[in-house]
Amino acid sequence: MSTFNDPVTEQDLPGIGRRYQMTDDSGQVITVIVHHSGRRDVYVPCRAHDVDAVSFTDDQARRLGAVLAGVYFKPAAVAQVEAVIGGLLIDWVTLHEHSPGVGRSIAELEVRKQTRMTIAAIVRGDSSFVAPDPAMTLEAGDRLVVIGRPEDLPTFLHAVVT
Amino acid sequence: MENSLIALGGAFLASALLARAGRKVGLPTIPLFMAAGIIFGPNTPGISLIDHPEDVELLAALGLVLLLFHLGLEFSLDDLAAGGRQLVVAGATYLALNLGGGLAFGFLLGWGTREALVIAGAVGISSSAIVTKLLVELRRLANPETRLILGIVVVEDLFLALYLAILQPVLSGSSGLRAVRDVVVAFLFVGAIVIVARKGAALVGKLIASPDDELLTIGFLGFVILTAGVAEELGVSDAIGAFLAGTVVAATVVASRVERLVLPLRDAFAAVFFFAFGLSLDPADASDVAGFVVAAVVLSFMLNTVAGVVAARLIGEGPDAAARISLTVLARGEFSLIIASLAVAAGLDARITPFVGLYVFVLALASPALAARPRWLAVVLRKTGAMPRSPGLRGRTAPPPARPA
Repeated sequence: MSTFNDPVTEQDLPGIGRRYQMTDDSGQVITVIVHHSGRRDVYVPCRAHDVDAVSFTDDQARRLGAVLAGVYFKPAAVAQVEAVIGGLLIDWVTLHEHSPGVGRSIAELEVRKQTRMTIAAIVRGDSSFVAPDPAMTLEAGDRLVVIGRPEDLPTFLHAVVT
Repeated sequence: MENSLIALGGAFLASALLARAGRKVGLPTIPLFMAAGIIFGPNTPGISLIDHPEDVELLAALGLVLLLFHLGLEFSLDDLAAGGRQLVVAGATYLALNLGGGLAFGFLLGWGTREALVIAGAVGISSSAIVTKLLVELRRLANPETRLILGIVVVEDLFLALYLAILQPVLSGSSGLRAVRDVVVAFLFVGAIVIVARKGAALVGKLIASPDDELLTIGFLGFVILTAGVAEELGVSDAIGAFLAGTVVAATVVASRVERLVLPLRDAFAAVFFFAFGLSLDPADASDVAGFVVAAVVLSFMLNTVAGVVAARLIGEGPDAAARISLTVLARGEFSLIIASLAVAAGLDARITPFVGLYVFVLALASPALAARPRWLAVVLRKTGAMPRSPGLRGRTAPPPARPA
């Protein structure tokens, strides 16, 4: 499981917004500026000039962020993609044909009781079900948004996904 | 122009077109709004949209009020506290040098003591608007010195508030006990509003808050304009009243919505303020003050360079960062013009208007070009031994430690 091994530094830029910086594997500093206006700038060092930058609107930045976070497509080489906020974990998992949860309802699986995780939403094709009905039957290809404690995730994955 | 709507519409459109042309070559808007006022004013040949600046006095006053209201709204002492000692030292050094130099320069001009105080402020305080915009547009936000530059600007904003609080009683020209009384009234008023901001923000929130954007806009406008008016009536200046109203609203629950709603209003009326300032400028006066302006620009340039070197040393950076700091904070704009307009209202030496107008014009137009090409100054600093060696790219490859996200 990945944690934030590389520190991302966060600083206030008075009158502009916030600055986040991290160092990549080659030692280059990547800077992200979140403007109060919602605009995002991404600065990358560049040989030709000192620095190159791209700007995004709030909406574009969120989409790009979702792509980077692996929401749409999780590379196979990566064990888990997750976000931990104050000890609470939010993760996305996709059910495949042989997932133990497929064909059974949330109530049958006793997800909350057995795994102490909660399925907060189900994304199925173009539609999404927020706070799904426990009677809802899971299908292959469903993307589940789950919330819980990080240490409970393996149990959940074992019981429902893998 | 007889029809005042035609005059005002023409003023807006002329300002917009001129500033848009300027944007293409990276010029800030403030000097171009002024230029529109000069070109379409009574003192130049051709069309005169508005013959007397007094005709748009109220709209221009709204511009000044909203500029300072927004400054108060965005102002946060936490920014200073978070920046720590470095930031305060850099800001204080900057102000000490530039205000001290400005004050000495003002006395050397021999226009009078009150005039010298006004010139110190007009020459000593950078333009928040232009500096911030330069940093964004020159893609400098990732640089190590950027936080320090923004910190210097925050310290200057804080100073501006204190300066405006004492300027008005001084400008009114009373002496002896009356002057003491005026200063006491000014500080009592400021103190009262600060207490309101700390304790009574919830009450003000109740007064102006509405889930409806329309009603919130009308509500906060009423609050800020009324506060500015009361301040003016008490002899404290509408500018400081508006700034303090901003700090009060900043503490309410509607702060972020007001920040968003006030922007288009501020931009519109501030443009009128700059345009009106341009109207009051007569190119014929320029030759009278040109020598003084050149001297003031050179002085500001030197003092900014010294301040830049001190600031760069504070954060362990070399001549490159020093040059970028110096040439960016050199920008002058809205605050200098606001201070000058207060002086005009108080009936000070008439030469202040053309002097500050031309000074702002030169530095507002020159600063983007100078800030974009800081290398030559870095070379000069290195060669003259003012700053021996750059610590290299350290700052660029390893950001200063901050708290982890």
